[in-house]
Amino acid sequence: MIKFINVYKKFKEECIPLNNVDLSIAKGQVVVVCGPSGAGKSTLLRVIPRLEAIDRGEIIIDGLSVTNSRANLAKVRSEIGMVFQQFNLFPHKTAIQNIMLAPMKVRGLTRKQANKKAMALLERVGLVHKAGNYPSQLSGGEQQRIAIARSLAMEPGIMLFDEPTSALDPELIQEVLDVMISLAREGGMTMIVVSHEIGFAKKVADRVLFMDNGVILEDGSPHEVLISPKHQRARDFMSNVLHVRDDLREENATFLN
Amino acid sequence: MMVTGVKLTLLLLVTTTLISFFVGTVLAVMRVSSVKALRILGTLYVEICRNIPGLFWLLFFYFVFPELLPSEWGKALNTYEHYPVVAGILGLTVDNSSYVSDILRSGKLAIPDSQKEAAITLGLKPVQQWLYVMLPQMYRAVLPPLGTRMIHNFKNTSLCMAITATELTWATQQIESLTFRGIEATTIATVFYIIVSALMVAVVLGLEKYLKIDMTSITKSKA
Ligand SMILES: Nc1ncnc2c1ncn2[C@@H]1O[C@H](COP(=O)(O)OP(=O)(O)O)[C@@H](O)[C@H]1O
Ligand SMILES: [Mg+2]
Repeated sequence: MIKFINVYKKFKEECIPLNNVDLSIAKGQVVVVCGPSGAGKSTLLRVIPRLEAIDRGEIIIDGLSVTNSRANLAKVRSEIGMVFQQFNLFPHKTAIQNIMLAPMKVRGLTRKQANKKAMALLERVGLVHKAGNYPSQLSGGEQQRIAIARSLAMEPGIMLFDEPTSALDPELIQEVLDVMISLAREGGMTMIVVSHEIGFAKKVADRVLFMDNGVILEDGSPHEVLISPKHQRARDFMSNVLHVRDDLREENATFLN
Repeated sequence: MMVTGVKLTLLLLVTTTLISFFVGTVLAVMRVSSVKALRILGTLYVEICRNIPGLFWLLFFYFVFPELLPSEWGKALNTYEHYPVVAGILGLTVDNSSYVSDILRSGKLAIPDSQKEAAITLGLKPVQQWLYVMLPQMYRAVLPPLGTRMIHNFKNTSLCMAITATELTWATQQIESLTFRGIEATTIATVFYIIVSALMVAVVLGLEKYLKIDMTSITKSKA
């Protein structure tokens, strides 16, 4: 369970990516966050493992406040996985070494145990044959699948994805989405995914948020938020950026594809 | 005398290279730390040490430092037969480590913050973030200038003759004044310096090849 209580975060003057956000996400929920660039979507994710500190309010993860307690923070961080737009693999380590590092150093697994676990994860993301490659020898899609495997190796209860497919060539997007879809279908894991992939939201999201100017404007089922949003801002965004077609919305029928 | 000189020069090379590598790393980490006091302390050390000639540090540790200590300690140092070597190691290390830390710091600046963020979200503790993620990349990024610096430090070992450490350059001078066979001695010493420097270059090139990574994947991710 992730709980934001009146969370406020400001960068410089006039730049308030989180403007008194209240939000609670149940365990196992798959939440897709969309909204225009600069809305505060990345910040919403980044304050959870405290990559950014918040100015006011409180964030509680599984009953532990991460706002003021260092001890809680360390505990919570190792339960949260994060996948970044730019993959952020460690370039001096091979794919399998990237996956093995944290289980060995944080969880105390032996090299053999970590290797076994990494091989299973490589199998799962379909990259066993790339185990010995360095990140520079992998395509973007492969790097992102390794990055997901690296996070999963810590067996996190919560996975955060910040535009995981935005930096990828179009033909590489699906292979990453497939991994995420299977993860969501498996259940049990809380997932917050900042993404504009409507197909993904439609297939597996329990809930969609629309953010604008540091505020969560829309919060509901994929159908509610994508097809019939209440606010004009959201409606415009859905038509112009996500190309959810107006006729579909008007008919209120099953959308897209 | 030449053999003793060679031995001592190599001893100075190995000890000061290793110690200044370690001290330089600690200083570099201090200087980019989020703790302000550490940053100030590290910067102060580097700015003071780097802006004073290496020879001064040798003279300082040989002549001045023992006087600054309680008198029995100072006396003990002054009469300790190997004190010139100790003073040489201290002086060279102080000088070299400040350069090493500066080179490493520039390596840190080449690595995007997102690397650290990835390490944090994997649950690695700060020390582990440095040991397994940041430092290995920093060393790789600055290997060529770091190698050049270590070779520079090697050549600086000859300055230790000024404080009567019986290293190679000191030995050639002694041979000249005792036997007038300075030319032969100097030739041998020159060849020795060239060979060791060349070996160090070879080690650096070998390491570069061995550790070769394509940094484009991380510089790209800065965007
Ligand atoms: N480290 C930072 N320093 C200053 N401003 C920032 C920083 N990170 C983000 N911002 C600003 O905060 C706002 C929200 O950013 P972000 O959360 O990244 O939005 P999104 O992910 O929705 O595009 C933007 O206006 C952005 O320029
Ligand atoms: Mg963003």
